[in-house]
Amino acid sequence: MKEQVIELSKYAVDRAIKEGFEEVAAIVNYSRRTMVKFANSEITVVQRWADFKIHLYLVRNQKILIVEGLGRNREDIDKLVVQAKDRIKFIEPTELYAPLPEPTGKPLTNLVDKILIEETDKAIEVVNALIDAGHNEGAEKLAGTLHTGYRIYALVTSKGAELAEDKSFIQVYARAFKGDISGHWAWASTRFNKNAIVEVGAKAGRYAAQDYQVVNVEPGRYQAVLSPLVFGNLIGYVARAASAFMAMLGLSMFMKIPPGNVIGSEKLIVIDDPHEVMLPEARGFDDEGVATFKKHIIDKGIFKTFLHNSKTASKMGAKTTGNAGWIMPTAWNLIVEPGDMNEEEMIREIRRGFFILNNWYTRYQNWVEGQFSTVTRDLLLYIENGEIKGLVKRLRIADTFPNLLKNIIGLSKTRYDIQWWEVRIPTRTPYILVDNVMFTKPEV
Amino acid sequence: MVTDLLRFAINYALSKGARYAETRYHLNSETSIILRNDRVISAGITQRRGIGIRVMYDGVLSFTSTSILSKDSIREAVDKAILYARTFTNRVKAKRGLGEAKFGRAKYEAIALKDFDSKPMDVKISELKELWKIINKSVKESKVASFAVIYSELCEVKELMTSDGAWIQSKIPRVRTMINFVLAHPQRGTAQRILDFGESGGLELVEKWRMNEVLEEEAKAVERVLLKGVEPPKEPIDVIIGSEVVGLIVHESAGHPMEADRIWGREAAQAGESYVKMDMIGKERIGNEHATVIDDPTIPGSFGFYLYDDEGVPARARYLYYKGLINEPLHNRWTAYIYGVESNAAARATDYASEPIPRMSTTYLEPGDMSFEELIEDVKLGVYIKNYMEWNIDDIRWGQRYVGLEAYMIRNGEIGEPVRNPVLEITTKAFYSLITGKTKDLRFHPGICGKGEPSQPVPVWHGGPDVKLSKIRLGVAPR
Repeated sequence: MKEQVIELSKYAVDRAIKEGFEEVAAIVNYSRRTMVKFANSEITVVQRWADFKIHLYLVRNQKILIVEGLGRNREDIDKLVVQAKDRIKFIEPTELYAPLPEPTGKPLTNLVDKILIEETDKAIEVVNALIDAGHNEGAEKLAGTLHTGYRIYALVTSKGAELAEDKSFIQVYARAFKGDISGHWAWASTRFNKNAIVEVGAKAGRYAAQDYQVVNVEPGRYQAVLSPLVFGNLIGYVARAASAFMAMLGLSMFMKIPPGNVIGSEKLIVIDDPHEVMLPEARGFDDEGVATFKKHIIDKGIFKTFLHNSKTASKMGAKTTGNAGWIMPTAWNLIVEPGDMNEEEMIREIRRGFFILNNWYTRYQNWVEGQFSTVTRDLLLYIENGEIKGLVKRLRIADTFPNLLKNIIGLSKTRYDIQWWEVRIPTRTPYILVDNVMFTKPEV
Repeated sequence: MVTDLLRFAINYALSKGARYAETRYHLNSETSIILRNDRVISAGITQRRGIGIRVMYDGVLSFTSTSILSKDSIREAVDKAILYARTFTNRVKAKRGLGEAKFGRAKYEAIALKDFDSKPMDVKISELKELWKIINKSVKESKVASFAVIYSELCEVKELMTSDGAWIQSKIPRVRTMINFVLAHPQRGTAQRILDFGESGGLELVEKWRMNEVLEEEAKAVERVLLKGVEPPKEPIDVIIGSEVVGLIVHESAGHPMEADRIWGREAAQAGESYVKMDMIGKERIGNEHATVIDDPTIPGSFGFYLYDDEGVPARARYLYYKGLINEPLHNRWTAYIYGVESNAAARATDYASEPIPRMSTTYLEPGDMSFEELIEDVKLGVYIKNYMEWNIDDIRWGQRYVGLEAYMIRNGEIGEPVRNPVLEITTKAFYSLITGKTKDLRFHPGICGKGEPSQPVPVWHGGPDVKLSKIRLGVAPR
């Protein structure tokens, strides 16, 4: 199958060059995926997909056209190229144009777990054990998703790249309910691990089974422990803002805080690590064929670099960081470096504040200022002088990213590999202790 | 040929023991251009087409899709769908079915008065470049720190066939333009606005939108807010909510909580549950007599327009809230079966690789009978929030927050000075109970609604009149 995918990519490049395009890159992406969704502790749908996706990057006279389609044979590619030839006539040279770079990347190996490919039905069956584990911890019902699959990704460019990489992945998350309380957990990997899958249900169940009285808390500034689910969500927004393309569009807080300036606490180190083979977006080359590498986005609170492809790098006078995206650079796997605290110690450190298990619906008022709010969900505990005082119903964090990141005062030793509906980029992160965070709630 | 493949898929699935089979050929095509200032930075063409197949096997719903349009590929997809469904037949508490409904056999199309090809792309680009000139001419004391335009022409072509007798062919062209601008002032900071235009139809829409004039007005208004905006009063005041914000509020706090799958819990781990419980429907009140919220897929030109849903059920208006009563949720056939009702045609699928689930189309608050002047004439001290940037709502659709962008003081029935970043943070019950007046002017606004796993973004409209809420305390966004 890998050979077929490379062959198709090579054909696409040759065909487009014959049609008069000066620079061409072709990505053919084959994927086979299965997803099991469950709710109220029963299976609600099983979904299975098999696709060949074709992506073409075509240049003529510094005009760039990106074409995306589906298909598995030469005729499908012919149609896309002919259509592109017609369309590119009417497009003007692109401000972002830079020549395709020389290929430097090499495929990573060791990204495939055969169990996920050859025994998919057994892998997905573990959902039953996950649900049972949540119930055993005291949950009354569970909802969630197990998503697994296999991908082949081939890149051929007119600059000589002929690269292909294949990998398996699994992403699991569950939400457990007991009465009005809910817990949530998530896990993602390139490998099958039955214990890790079952633990997702068990951990969500343990959080749901916390037994405290509801207390009323007024809006204001508080300390907070943010779980890996919460910080995974928030740091994903920071990583997207670090994409040079987002800054060019006016959708980034780093327009005002360029590389070399302080964005966060000295304790904060955020890395993009495409070579972490346990995380699902591991890869050895980017969409331009450039070698990917581990890099600090934030190092001891200093914003170190925008994420670049060759075009944004050329525009900003920088070097590509191996994060292409033909148009938009993106982070691959996010790693937040650990601290020295354990999770109980973080709770004990809180004078007046919250433990926040989960959040969703993060939105900006102003992308440039990093002014945002996000809504807490699942377990939310109020803590005074290191003691849990009770449960709180949904609050909202309403602050700015620079404030939030600068106010980090502690990180846990242990980290967790998270990816779910609200954490799209695979992220390994500890629990985070933050000072002076603004919380709001409706008055009526 | 596609019709033959769809028929083959149904017959094959039924022969393998499926109780129900549904197949949908689905093509989504898009041409897009992104401009930064007055320069093109990206152009793209996307075509996604394939066949989605959904079967019900021994009470388990199983969905599969393939982009390879061949009998072999369909056979393999159906075999896997049934194998995986069989794996979980013991994990379904009650044997599920699909609700009764009427089914269509029809062909329909939203007409583009001016085809996408009726104007060359280079002419379209030169028109979009005008916007950069317009915004620079419109602002006086601030600088345009950032400006981007995303222009898209979209087309959705479908053919649906089900083992229950539905057979629908449809074609919906759409056009969308988004404009993002940031104005900056050395002392006053920055203000950001995202304008969104989107409808079903052809290039005639671009002329109708008068984007040049709208951008000029919007840029001037945002500059006024940036330079002169004051904090909102701290005491409870009357608040006038503009149609753009009202539309979003009803989408978030009436449309989403009235999705039947969410109420049952099917989306609990993703977009969450609903404050609405099954036993509240038709019995409990959420607001006063002004609180009538309708979702209607059949409004001509609407961004989420359809006449038959993706299960082949004929579309109609649904009264989600009726004069304050929690009235009718949005159903597909799977939820209709659980609730013991007929489907009301809310099943939508983003593309061939997506299962049809209950979705909104055009959701709006029923308008009233007042003019805007009448709405504000007895307001002694108030704030008018015309539009917004930031918003969110909790996962049961109860506590929500909207941060105004263009906003003004109201003093003795007159619009006054601009207000910067007023925050309306309110519960669903309070919003629908505190409405004391509505204008007769119903306006719609486009959006992309998110739901499902994998995520299924679908185009929608939301709208309403301008609305008056009595005695609300506003906050202010932290800086």
